Amino acid sequence: MKAKYINPFLAASMNLFKNYLGVECKSGTPYLNSDPQNLEEVTGIIGLAGETVGAVVLSFSRETAIGIASKMAGIPYHTLSNEVIDIVGELVNIVAGNAKKDLLEFRINISLPGVLIGSGSRIKWPSGVPVITIPFDSELGPFSVNVSLKGAE
Amino acid sequence: MKVLIIDDAMVMRNIHKNILMEFGLHDEDLLEAADGKSALQIATTTPIDLFLVDWNMPELSGLDFVKSIRSMTSYKNTPIIMVTSEAAKYNVLEAIEAGVTNYIVKPIKADMLKEKLGKYMLGR
Repeated sequence: MKAKYINPFLAASMNLFKNYLGVECKSGTPYLNSDPQNLEEVTGIIGLAGETVGAVVLSFSRETAIGIASKMAGIPYHTLSNEVIDIVGELVNIVAGNAKKDLLEFRINISLPGVLIGSGSRIKWPSGVPVITIPFDSELGPFSVNVSLKGAE
Repeated sequence: MKVLIIDDAMVMRNIHKNILMEFGLHDEDLLEAADGKSALQIATTTPIDLFLVDWNMPELSGLDFVKSIRSMTSYKNTPIIMVTSEAAKYNVLEAIEAGVTNYIVKPIKADMLKEKLGKYMLGR
């Protein structure tokens, strides 16, 4: 996938996690994910439709999800509660919605977010469209932003 | 002053509530809905002075909520602030055309949001 399609998701993620939430984090080199079902335990998913199809998936370990949700809400959470799950959905909503600003080739509609719990969760990626993973390392643990966008290969 | 906060994410409703309380609004002044359909029901039974509305919500989207509210005579001029992650220019234009008064892209720092809400809180 061309950099111009990945960079909007990278920029939206950095803006959310680093600038807004104040989480110290660094992005790694994006790579083609040959096993995109094998993600962390907590995944927030948004479907993309309109002039293209695709999906954006944020993936966190349980601890990282709880830590980031605590930052977002300004109160400490200790378990993977409904509030934490709600916040993971909001995080992926923000990344996808913000990235649209710089995806000028497509007019895109984003779906409502969904959140899957459990490392065996099956994500319905668009068929035949590669998944690019942007890894992040943060003070609250690693996480990843995974993007599949038809027409952006 | 009654404010209706419409967002399917509870965390966002709480963030907005906390900011509005800093303007002296009390819990009973702040009504909440998790989707556009419930918000319409509230707005038809309780006069609302200000709406804060998200875009992507179940049942009825924020955009469709705005269109419905603007079709009601009593809400022709009521301020509607859309607070959404939808950052594309065409989304902003569509929302303005539907009748929103102000458009704010999430994430927004609490102090920035407070500043933007300030002009709707004059006299408080």
